[in-house]
Amino acid sequence: MASEPKLSHTAAMILQAISTGCVYGFSIMEMTGLPSGTVYPAMRRLERDELIGSRWERQSIADAEQRPARKYYKLTAAGRVTLEASRKRYPLLERMIPSPEARSV
Amino acid sequence: MRPAVRSAIGGMNRGILRCASLLVPRDQRADWRREWNAELWHMRRACQPRGGSGWKAERAATAFCLGAFQDAFCVRGIRGQNWEIAPSQHGSARECLFWLAGVLALSCILARVLPGVFVESHPSHYQVNPGLVLLQRDLFTDSSAATISGQQFLDLKASRQRGIDGLAFYRMTKETLSPGLHAKPKWAVAHASFNLFALLGGTRSFAALPTETPGGLPPVVLSDELWKRDFKGNPRIIGSVVHVGRMAARVFGVLPRGSWRLPGGADAWLLQPDTEISRSAVGYVVAHITRFGQAEMYNDRLHINAFVADDPDADLWGVSFDERTRGPWTIFRFAVFLAFFALPAITSVSLGESCFSSHRPSLMTNLSRWIFLSAKIVLLLSIAYFASLDLSYWNATGYSALSEYAQLASTFFICLFGMRWILLDQRERCPVCLRRVTHPAQVGQASRTFLAWNGTELMCTSGHTLLHVPGLPTSWFGTQRWMYLDTSWKFLFAGTGVG
Repeated sequence: MASEPKLSHTAAMILQAISTGCVYGFSIMEMTGLPSGTVYPAMRRLERDELIGSRWERQSIADAEQRPARKYYKLTAAGRVTLEASRKRYPLLERMIPSPEARSV
Repeated sequence: MRPAVRSAIGGMNRGILRCASLLVPRDQRADWRREWNAELWHMRRACQPRGGSGWKAERAATAFCLGAFQDAFCVRGIRGQNWEIAPSQHGSARECLFWLAGVLALSCILARVLPGVFVESHPSHYQVNPGLVLLQRDLFTDSSAATISGQQFLDLKASRQRGIDGLAFYRMTKETLSPGLHAKPKWAVAHASFNLFALLGGTRSFAALPTETPGGLPPVVLSDELWKRDFKGNPRIIGSVVHVGRMAARVFGVLPRGSWRLPGGADAWLLQPDTEISRSAVGYVVAHITRFGQAEMYNDRLHINAFVADDPDADLWGVSFDERTRGPWTIFRFAVFLAFFALPAITSVSLGESCFSSHRPSLMTNLSRWIFLSAKIVLLLSIAYFASLDLSYWNATGYSALSEYAQLASTFFICLFGMRWILLDQRERCPVCLRRVTHPAQVGQASRTFLAWNGTELMCTSGHTLLHVPGLPTSWFGTQRWMYLDTSWKFLFAGTGVG
């Protein structure tokens, strides 16, 4: 576990937001309250470190709904492990960005 | 919002994104631009109210687009592996002091550049002899209005007045002033008695000015503005002959900018013997009062029972020059006093020192906290002094009562709201590392205030403390409290990570 990257609080918030189902850049901004100039660079670094992966939505789906296609993000296996460690590192993380199940409770 | 405006803002936002994308490396440019445009579309859609569009949505969209520049710079940095946020500086005490010092430096530079501020902040330029008053006929008359005729001045001077041991007279006219007799713009010329500058005296500005007529021609003193504008700042003008209206006079000197604080705003002073003073013209009388007269002054005013043979009711009022020559420091001190007096009305003056446990920070930690607070206050007061002068004398070349009121008001508001900010900022700084606590998290629900706890938790990013701020102050939890985290928490916050 010594080789696990230690996440800054910002990055941990983004991972937590993605894990709770906020898979687009704007929804992550909305959930974390972080500005665009912070969120996207942080996501690029997380992607570089292979903690998250990204994929463009199929154009046909976007065309059917008459909107531009979006890029969405998801946690990788390494990202999930790192997030779990970050939740211990930042005990308030889950309270700040609760999962949908926790919110419904 | 009109469709045309909406369309213009949309175009501007697309332009911002296009510009930002030019900063991104070429191979990633298309991907970034596509993502930004897609997110912008969804963002506007999410922010806009149903059935229309609002400024709030457009503002959020523009903020999003401006953030693209930060993204682009970051992308370049990631590629070069040399871009990192410096978390240790963000929100730190050093950063706060750095910004305050920057504002202070800016206001100091402005104060140095603006002529009005420069004059005002050097009281030695306009100091006069103590015990001088401006005589006027009525207590309620504006002291800048001329009220005494030349004849009355001569009568006053001819008879011994109780409490007065020196009198000088001047009246204002509009006349041309040039080396020849050809037409020139008219300037405000003060026709003054010879002893005017000797009576004012006291400063280096007036010390070298004449009291006697040299070579038969009356001496004239030019203002700095007139000298620079009509005589192009020529130093050889001293001793040369000029014409004031149709009267020839010899230039005796140039009065430095801001030296003249008496009413009338003169551009030149023509010194004449008392015999040539116009009897009917109304002007100003400057009087020097004796020690006995000074003892009778009340609220910078002195009632003088003037003895004039032809006018038994010639009572006069002497108004002290102190108001005109006190300088900005007195006003500043008064405004600061008022601001500190009013501070408890707009914010609590508590620093939120209470904590959950019996833990107390070390003496050095406490000391550094107080030093930081003192440094902020000193910087704020310095900023208030210079910034208020900059604001008040921005467009003024010298003294004016309006500028003094502006200085009073601006100092008061800068100090009042600046102190409020200082206290709020201090309350939100970790007592251990003086960094601002961040990541506010809402805890509990308002409906459970009386059974549990409802409020906001903020954390120190270095892991020293948690700050608990009650959502609804109660008798058992009225103010914020600090929770000091023991060493077992330290590993959770140690080191900097990615992102």
